[in-house]
Amino acid sequence: MAIGRTIRDEFDWPLFIAVSTIALFGVLNLYSATDGGTTSDAYVQQLYWLILGFGAAGVTVAIDYRYFERYGWVVYGACILALVLVLVLGKSVRGSTRWIALGGFSLQPSELMKIGLIIALAKYLHHDTKTGGRTLGDLIIPGLILALPTALVLLQPDLGTAMVLAFIFVSVMMLTELKARSVVTLVATFVVAAPVTWFYLLKDYQKERITAFWSRLGGTQADLLDSGWHAHQSLVAIGSGGLAGKGFTQGTQTRFRFLPDQHTDFPFPVWAEEHGFIGAVLLISLYVFLILWALRIASQAKDRFGAVVAVGVGAMIFWQTVVNLGMVSGLLPVVGMTLPLFSYGGSSLLSTMLGLGLLMNVSMRRFSH
Amino acid sequence: MITLSQRREVGEFRKRYRWMALFVMLVFGTLIARVAQVQLFQRNRWSGIAQQNITKTLELPATRGVIRDVADRVVASNRPSYDVHATPRLLLIPEDLERIANLMGLSEEETAELTARLAALPESRRTHQLELYSDISREQLAALETHLAELPALDIVTVPLRDYPYATLGAHLIGYLNEVNETDLRNVRDPGTYRAGDRIGRSGLERRYEELLRGARGFRRVVVDARGRALEGTRPQSLEVEMLKKPVPGHELQLTIDMQLMEALDRAFRQHPSGAAVVVDIHTGAVRALYSKPVYDPNEMSSGLSTKRYQELTSDPFRPLIDKTIYETYFPGSTFKVITALAALEDSVVDPMQRVECLGSIKIGRQKFRCNRRHDWVDLYDAIVQSCNVYFWELAEKVGLERINRYAEAFGFAERTGIGVNSEAKGFLATREWYKEHYGAFRPGYTLNTAIGQGNTRVTVLQLAMAYAAIANGGTLYVPQVVQNVKAPDGSLSETFQPRVRREIQVLPEHLELLRRALTGVVNEEPGTAYRARSPEGPRIAGKTGTAQVVSRKSRSGESSSAWYLDRSHGWFAGYAPADDPQVAFAILVEHGGSGSTSAAPIAAIVMQEYLSQPDGEEAQ
Repeated sequence: MAIGRTIRDEFDWPLFIAVSTIALFGVLNLYSATDGGTTSDAYVQQLYWLILGFGAAGVTVAIDYRYFERYGWVVYGACILALVLVLVLGKSVRGSTRWIALGGFSLQPSELMKIGLIIALAKYLHHDTKTGGRTLGDLIIPGLILALPTALVLLQPDLGTAMVLAFIFVSVMMLTELKARSVVTLVATFVVAAPVTWFYLLKDYQKERITAFWSRLGGTQADLLDSGWHAHQSLVAIGSGGLAGKGFTQGTQTRFRFLPDQHTDFPFPVWAEEHGFIGAVLLISLYVFLILWALRIASQAKDRFGAVVAVGVGAMIFWQTVVNLGMVSGLLPVVGMTLPLFSYGGSSLLSTMLGLGLLMNVSMRRFSH
Repeated sequence: MITLSQRREVGEFRKRYRWMALFVMLVFGTLIARVAQVQLFQRNRWSGIAQQNITKTLELPATRGVIRDVADRVVASNRPSYDVHATPRLLLIPEDLERIANLMGLSEEETAELTARLAALPESRRTHQLELYSDISREQLAALETHLAELPALDIVTVPLRDYPYATLGAHLIGYLNEVNETDLRNVRDPGTYRAGDRIGRSGLERRYEELLRGARGFRRVVVDARGRALEGTRPQSLEVEMLKKPVPGHELQLTIDMQLMEALDRAFRQHPSGAAVVVDIHTGAVRALYSKPVYDPNEMSSGLSTKRYQELTSDPFRPLIDKTIYETYFPGSTFKVITALAALEDSVVDPMQRVECLGSIKIGRQKFRCNRRHDWVDLYDAIVQSCNVYFWELAEKVGLERINRYAEAFGFAERTGIGVNSEAKGFLATREWYKEHYGAFRPGYTLNTAIGQGNTRVTVLQLAMAYAAIANGGTLYVPQVVQNVKAPDGSLSETFQPRVRREIQVLPEHLELLRRALTGVVNEEPGTAYRARSPEGPRIAGKTGTAQVVSRKSRSGESSSAWYLDRSHGWFAGYAPADDPQVAFAILVEHGGSGSTSAAPIAAIVMQEYLSQPDGEEAQ
């Protein structure tokens, strides 16, 4: 298979265009969120990260994904090692340890772990001999593959990423068939586990956010400070955007700093405030297209590894997008969750681009082998 | 590798993609529906909050209208008060509080109080400005202003504060302001008129003309960021609110009251702890003086009384809170004899020339009634001049209670004058039925008492002045008026109050003439009861003395030292001046002053001399 012919005929242009458009919107939005770059040069940084991300994705595309299958455990192990290193060497920001300094910049290994988990699960299922009717026993090994990184991420603690890991796992495992009896057992286990999690595992600030969320759903505007305040100001930004928005760089919620973490967790309200319902639907549609396209790639994949990777990457983007949008629009409690490709943040962008590189890889090699 | 991948079935996965795609679309469908709800259907609500977020509204208080007297002397105006306002949401606690406490020199107690006040604030009020302190000192102002840039939560607002240059003089009439309460806020038509902490006219003219005086507040909005820092010159396109509304000053009132006359009265009352006086223009009903003593200081009432101070005022035996000109009623005493005389003359039950012998007392039934002295043979004229009770008792028997009451009513007694400020007492005239009901039976003695202004007749000082004005002007009873005109903020006249006639009393001019001659005699003839009080240099005045017995009251415990004084009779003098060309009528009451001829009459003489000797054109100053 000559690479020249592959690029021309099998390069997945729709995927590339959708990804580039979202990323470009993200940079523009960041430019606006920083008052046209006057308050910080984050949008330039983001451009650098984007170039780096496209580069990394290009490298990922160039290597046949079967090599990732072959070295799957190595990738997974490296990510786990990085997570351990964070706990040992990492720097603490706002009560949680998520970053390690790597030369001039900081890296968030938990972001890379998402890709590591997808590859590990793909490798495991690729080699699984079963083709249906799985029991709980069959879930033990994949469960352990999930449990190890999730535990390490929770130690940081980073509830959001732990959730994404779990969601990726569940989504991927949905591809396989589970016996009805096992499903019942799982549901029962969850019912028992939920209160235990609430009372023993969640930190106070995490509980507080969830309580604030429920009290808001209940209609009491009692707690407008802190987490409730964030969600409230986010709704103000989105809602005041109206149909057509206030115009590029004209969002008052943004410019006058009523949005918390507007570069990272709350870029969507900035976008929705300035571009209105039209802009919001356009952006959401791009994500819908991207995720459905990933499912299409999965369905055309020649092998299980490719299919699981495609679904895993799709699930990663899907869940992060849904949780982030749900949170900023007041449907879900405020948890730290970035909007893939759109939020400011190097590690997040890099891991997303790596995943998308893998997706492109699977897409381009669907007719080969 | 090839064999490996071919072994792996992807068929197991195939059935799931459609469900996954459906799930993805359902979830995003929900999200888009939510965004549509927020952006399309709730847009106005969120836009409102977004605009509120970036604007801070600074209130621009309206200047309350100035009140002036008849000669343009200022009786109520405004001075600047520097108030400290804060937006609680922006206050850093405790750093900012410590700072404020330091700069303002607050005691620990005051600081704790402020902290508690802020903590008690409901969440919904935290974005609104709150008044922390009002009328701070110059030193505090200077300290705060120097550091204002570092305290974005604070604003110093200059608010006009009401100022009464004459302090206690006329305080009941002028009134005072204090903070609005919830009842006021409920009663006002436009709920935006007042804010908590605003002051509202609480009594007197301040209350009666509140709507005209208050003006309308304005505001200035500034664009602020989330920390409340003002961004001057910034105006986001999406901001659709008005940025400036100038306050509209209140209307000005010009009174009919003459503060110079009020001052003259105050000087004349120097020796007496309590009393009241009313002076009215007999041709218009315009009130020139409405004087009550003692009085609270309206400046003090405006800034809020302490409980202790309030108790002091309520327990004062001379009752400074009561307006003695219109709210309190008294026995008219002998000043009432003019009514009895008129009743007799009009109904022709007496020949004014016919003489009656006064032996110093009279026996009616089993009761013996004493005159103030033996007057020997007196006719109606002499009886008024010398205030002979015996003459009037004999007259009373002929006239009867009903006729006396009818003429008293005609002259405005037992009926509110309609002055329209504060609460006004009606006064009281006892009827035959009333006596039967309250005293079991009607006895002739009641009529005798009524004839000389004792009995159960009660009048206000203002009613008496209005009645004497009617005698002086030939029988026109006016509605007393205290406001001459209202001026718009630009100085143009917006309303002028014309004299209002209550009624033309049907009496023969020659009867009034006879009365006026007698009233002139009271002051200007040798045996007259007020002859000693006359001032030989001044204009001749006319009037009638009176002494109202005080119902002996039990002194409150611990006040025995003043108890004897409080049992003394009230002294009256009611009349008009000048005697030959009447301009003003007056009624003067000296509480516990004893005889009217020695207490009240001299006050009238002094004050009228001073008032009437004012150079012409005084009013157009």
